[in-house]
Amino acid sequence: MITVKKLNKKFGDNHVLRDIDEFIEKGEKVVIIGPSGSGKSTFLRSINLLETPTSGEIWYEDECITKPGYDADRIRRRMGMVFQHFNLFPHLNIMKNITLAPVMLKIMTQDEADERALRLLRRVSLQEKADAYPSSLSGGQKQRIAIVRSLAMNPQVMLFDEPTSALDPEMVGEVLDVIRELAEDGMTMIVVTHEMGFAREVGTRILLMDEGRIIEQNSPDRFFTEPKHPRVIEFLSKVL
Amino acid sequence: MFILEAIRDFFVGLGSQFYQTMIVDDRWKMLISGLQNTLIIAFFALLIGVAIGTFVAIVKVMAVMNSKSKLLRLLNWLCNIYINIIRGTPVVVQLLIMYFVVFVSVTNALFIAIVSFGLNSGAYVAEIMRAGILAVDKGQTEAGRSLGLSGSQTMKAIILPQAIKNILPALCNEFITLLKETSIAGYVAIQDLTKAGDRIRFTTYDPFTPLIVVALIYLVMVLGLTWIIGKFERRLAKSDNR
Ligand SMILES: Nc1ncnc2c1ncn2[C@@H]1O[C@H](COP(=O)(O)OP(=O)(O)OP(=O)(O)O)[C@@H](O)[C@H]1O
Ligand SMILES: [Mg+2]
Repeated sequence: MITVKKLNKKFGDNHVLRDIDEFIEKGEKVVIIGPSGSGKSTFLRSINLLETPTSGEIWYEDECITKPGYDADRIRRRMGMVFQHFNLFPHLNIMKNITLAPVMLKIMTQDEADERALRLLRRVSLQEKADAYPSSLSGGQKQRIAIVRSLAMNPQVMLFDEPTSALDPEMVGEVLDVIRELAEDGMTMIVVTHEMGFAREVGTRILLMDEGRIIEQNSPDRFFTEPKHPRVIEFLSKVL
Repeated sequence: MFILEAIRDFFVGLGSQFYQTMIVDDRWKMLISGLQNTLIIAFFALLIGVAIGTFVAIVKVMAVMNSKSKLLRLLNWLCNIYINIIRGTPVVVQLLIMYFVVFVSVTNALFIAIVSFGLNSGAYVAEIMRAGILAVDKGQTEAGRSLGLSGSQTMKAIILPQAIKNILPALCNEFITLLKETSIAGYVAIQDLTKAGDRIRFTTYDPFTPLIVVALIYLVMVLGLTWIIGKFERRLAKSDNR
């Protein structure tokens, strides 16, 4: 579904992604872990072109999305993205937060979008917040709304960048539950996280990034039980 | 007793001086029509300034976001020239050039002053707007773009509505600045508040009364506006935590 070929990204002299080759199949739940600054966010953000690769190619199904002139908005409509800091729109109520994009992009009428939004809100048990503003919500609620907002576009892939890192510990569970449910429904997803338990339980494949490279990848069971690369062993000893 | 009498005489003198200078021949009416011109110039100049400033600010912000677009690069270059010229030359000189060079054939001095102050204000408003837009969290743009909205859709529906809160109070301050700056309109034969006061000084040989009255009128307007801005800012701050 997503093919990454020799992807490189530099910020000035800082070589953040180095020759990344990766293939992600439909329905996979890929979890990316790794030390801070290793390029996890940059890799994720390159996939929906929030960052422009310095070199290399990214293919989505049979389209090369990194070729010059490719309309980035088109690919982003098919990929949802959830950020560490939620990034809800503070000037709009929850309903508008969710329906803004599908209505503005003429994918749905306001009525259709409202109906879909309510259905999604019920799924995350936040239907009574439809008319509330983001500032009146807890962090966990905000992140569940952010997930719903992405789902309103009916994406085929979901990208999560440390969706629980900014949350108080007691709210991590409610957000992970929503993501877990989404995974069970068969959504293709790429998740950057520090939640090792979650990675092991929900991931179908775990990648470890270090200094801009994917240095090890494996199925969750084997990843944690038979790490090979010394940097992976070192990393796991720190986080487990 | 002597001191009290002296004080009384002083105020009586002041009163009759005020009467002689301002009331006789209805001279105060000159101040009123002068004030009217001052307000007209400042108000319409601000409107022009906001129109130009919004455009320039959006060009500059978008040019940073899409550094590849040739059109935006050209527009950005033109905007920078405009800003540098406006900020690098005195406003009086700009006004004189407008009056004696650019609009030689136009007889309506008020119109020329409005355009001139509007063009001047635009450069400063652009900076106010740009700062207001940049103060909106970058995550907001990323959220909008990641949902598939275009750059201009994101700007319109997400960034500008939030930037307004940073911009409005600063715009009111810009109006205060304009109000005071228009006092040079007399250079191009406009009877604004300052010029009206100066005319009264000239005809009555009493510099004290008209100039102090003019200063007081400016001061009252500025303090009044400052007070309104203060209220306004507190209200906007409150609506943040609705
Ligand atoms: N917009 C940017 N401009 C310049 N440098 C950047 C930018 N974004 C990221 N970097 C740099 O790229 C490197 C990788 O950053 P990235 O955010 O991808 O790391 P990460 O693995 O997500 O780390 P963390 O776990 O802290 O989120 C860092 O050195 C960072 O300073
Ligand atoms: Mg990161």
